[in-house]
Amino acid sequence: MSTPISTPAVDEHLDLSAAPLEPWQVVVWNDPVNLMSYVVRVFRTYFGYSLDRATQLMLAVHHEGHAIVATGPRETMEVHAQAMHDYGLWATVRKAPQ
Amino acid sequence: MTTASVRLELAAIEGVHLAHLLDEFQDMLTADATENAGDPAIARLAPNPYPEDAEASRAFATATHDDLLDRRIAEAAVVRAALSGFDETQDVLDEQDALTAQPILIPAAEVDAWLRTLTALRLVLATRLGIVDEDDLDEDDPRRGVYDWLGYRLEGLIQSADELG
Repeated sequence: MSTPISTPAVDEHLDLSAAPLEPWQVVVWNDPVNLMSYVVRVFRTYFGYSLDRATQLMLAVHHEGHAIVATGPRETMEVHAQAMHDYGLWATVRKAPQ
Repeated sequence: MTTASVRLELAAIEGVHLAHLLDEFQDMLTADATENAGDPAIARLAPNPYPEDAEASRAFATATHDDLLDRRIAEAAVVRAALSGFDETQDVLDEQDALTAQPILIPAAEVDAWLRTLTALRLVLATRLGIVDEDDLDEDDPRRGVYDWLGYRLEGLIQSADELG
């Protein structure tokens, strides 16, 4: 191993607060096709939510037009969104509003 | 572990019709990508999770789009295989035969494939019918009846599946 003849400049500003683990969200949007019972079942069986929680989320989608169904790292949220698409639900991924 | 299953009773005319729909669905999914480009039904089956970020949406589509359609093809094939008993059934049935119910036993492990496939068929029909919100009811379009019938069968299947646990 060679000895470095010069030390690298270390005046880089390492601002750790600029790279936090920013949470992302999966948002499911209302559509006129999917049956309410189906949406509840998907939230229950895929996310493991209770019947109450799944029903609340379904009603939020139905009445408010959308609901946040999961929050976490971006890669995980993309996996969830893909699964929602497999089920025929209309899901998007977004950075959680600060 | 018991061999749990969901029982679905389909009249012969329903089974024949569903088999036809699935054949068309599989043709659509296996069509050339260039043929499918811009098809709103394909777009609805594989939605864009980043509507406000063209670059991220391209990356996501590149990584997932074909796999998603492949999974749909595989699941549609599971449902289609369960309907093979209807293949011998004539397209022209007398009234009695047409309404004779045939039970189909769907193993628990295949229930999700059924639910997702029937849902996908309804999404495609809805796109073709131009159903964008709950009020878009064109009762005169014959496809509307097919759409409602699939919804009715799907609802029953969801109920049976929920009872299964």
